[in-house]
Amino acid sequence: MKKFWILIKYEWLNFRADKGLLILVTLTLLAGLYGIYYGTTEVERQRQNLAGLQKLTEHNVEEMKAKYPAGADAGDIGYYHSTFAVHHPDSWAALALGQRDVNPYYIKLRLLNLQSQLYDTENINPQKVLAGNFDLSFVLVYLFPLLIIGLCFNILSVEKEQGTLPLLLSQPISLPLIVGAKLTFRMLVVLSLGLLLSIIAMLWGNVVPDGRVALWLGVVVLYCLFWFAVAFLVAGLQKNSAFNAVTLLGVWLLLTIVVPALLNVYVSIKQPVPQALALTIKQREVVHGGWDKPKEETMEKFFALYPQWQDTAQIKERFVWRWYYAFHHLGDVAVADLASQYKQSLLNRHELVQRLNVLSVPVNVQGIFNALAGTDLPSYVQFLQSATRYHDALRAFYYPFLFRQITFHHADFEQEPKHHFASSPDVASATAGVVKLFISVLVVFGAGLLLYRWKVASVK
Amino acid sequence: MEFALEARQLKKEYQDKLALKGLNLQIKPGEIFCLLGQNGAGKSTTINLFLGFITPTSGAAYINGLEVADHLLKVKEYLAYIPENVMLYPNLTGLENLALFSSLAGFEYDKEQLLFYLIEAGLPAEAASRKVGTYSKGMRQKVGIAIAVAKHAKVLLLDEPTSGLDPKASNEFSDLLLKLSSQGTAIFMATHDIFRAKEVGTRVGIMREGELVDVLGTAALDANELEKLYLNYMHN
Repeated sequence: MKKFWILIKYEWLNFRADKGLLILVTLTLLAGLYGIYYGTTEVERQRQNLAGLQKLTEHNVEEMKAKYPAGADAGDIGYYHSTFAVHHPDSWAALALGQRDVNPYYIKLRLLNLQSQLYDTENINPQKVLAGNFDLSFVLVYLFPLLIIGLCFNILSVEKEQGTLPLLLSQPISLPLIVGAKLTFRMLVVLSLGLLLSIIAMLWGNVVPDGRVALWLGVVVLYCLFWFAVAFLVAGLQKNSAFNAVTLLGVWLLLTIVVPALLNVYVSIKQPVPQALALTIKQREVVHGGWDKPKEETMEKFFALYPQWQDTAQIKERFVWRWYYAFHHLGDVAVADLASQYKQSLLNRHELVQRLNVLSVPVNVQGIFNALAGTDLPSYVQFLQSATRYHDALRAFYYPFLFRQITFHHADFEQEPKHHFASSPDVASATAGVVKLFISVLVVFGAGLLLYRWKVASVK
Repeated sequence: MEFALEARQLKKEYQDKLALKGLNLQIKPGEIFCLLGQNGAGKSTTINLFLGFITPTSGAAYINGLEVADHLLKVKEYLAYIPENVMLYPNLTGLENLALFSSLAGFEYDKEQLLFYLIEAGLPAEAASRKVGTYSKGMRQKVGIAIAVAKHAKVLLLDEPTSGLDPKASNEFSDLLLKLSSQGTAIFMATHDIFRAKEVGTRVGIMREGELVDVLGTAALDANELEKLYLNYMHN
């Protein structure tokens, strides 16, 4: 054990004198700090936008009061007054933005049909999607392996190439001890950096210090160990530095780009998700068709769903709000199955990715980070469901005014339901991912150990 | 008697080529055995077998009575190795390199002791604190000797250590070998340098195509006779 620490001490001396390695570590540190800045800035921007929505709603209420000084028909309010369903970020979102930038984090809602409003903001900036997020999870998942490769690709081969291995191996130490000490030193450097950046991000992002702190740090350690195990395995082949570098970069390319791209294609084919646009168009057709249908037919269908309003006055006028909202409502009912299928297929797709992510450790780890930060796809689907429930509550609030033809007074705005939804972490899913990650580390490290046992140390 | 270094029917085969054909050899403590032979004769293979860098196809190599294959780490406590080109860590100083290899061999020295070993090996004192990247080949060979001395090696294996050294540096190197041998270190040196072999060797072995064809005592020979004999073996 003493010799192990001697080797580590001299690794430190060599590392300190190697400007290339120092630059590599410094660049990764700077990239990590930028990732933290990017994540916290993006979440802060979203928080400010959400705070602005509250003011917008209050402003809209004041406008309504000014427009209808003596109270209004609830139909007018339902049409002209808007409120918001808001998806508040978890404090951890700054560390892993996940899908918070590609999926809407607030939805403007009126009393009209829901489905077209839910997906009104689905269009996103493709440039932004192409560039992706440069948050801490990106740095850890995609750039840290490159740091590990940069530090480890010549861990053994450099000793052969600079000719020091024969002299080293003529001392009473074994090859696995040499490689183990070199790897341990590099692990100390990389893990210190990864843990330091994570802790800075947690402090900077004011995260809630719960069990996720340990889980996050554990994942950072295990993920780095996975890449060290890959480097250990490749070093065990005892090839030259160029071969090792190409092989390790090939593994990185395969696991971070090729396999995820193939998974994406496979998942898209295996678990297609119907376009929300198709759902919106169908609903629009039903809603617009409502204008041409006899009012009795529309109201009968509506009363079949809501018998509590059956006794409301028969419609004789050319236009009344309750009829208008009834066929809007029926528009939602007509696409209810489609809407449910859409959400379910999103979840099924996520489930399939969860099962297949065993093929790519980076995909698995990104999934764990997103699950811990509450920024994954299920979180978005939960928000959609919450927005749907909120719209139902708005209907339940406004319908008595509409069907009983009660005047909507200024004071009634106070009673209007408010929406609040904050992401919650999916710790169970993250834990399952950690188990897979742990097994990946064991498998690769075990393969490396077998290789060292099988392959005789060569000094040439 | 226990030999410092011994080979018993030591054989090494690479795929279809027999690199070493059943070598039998014994070297006593304090003896300098020089092995002459052309490139590919099996000299380096013999050294690599004693170092445990390769495993024998059959037979056994012994250091201090211990079979190398069975006591790989233990025998390395007794031996030191100086290759044709001693390569050290270029970013570390001569002192740091010596401290590293000595401590790996189990010997911790303070700076004065380390400096003493380097100076004893012929390295100028001012060079000891310089990075090894600035050293000449001769200076690196001297650090190699210092590593062997500081390790108190019982057996020193040298693979063409004077190749590429200027005559003065070669001469200093020979003096160091003689000094070590006088202190009881057994030295096994593979070389092409017949003059150097005659000058420092107690015995000289001639190897051809993996076979030790002759072993000669140097006391009764001069360098010219040795060269003639060597060339005869090579031509026949």
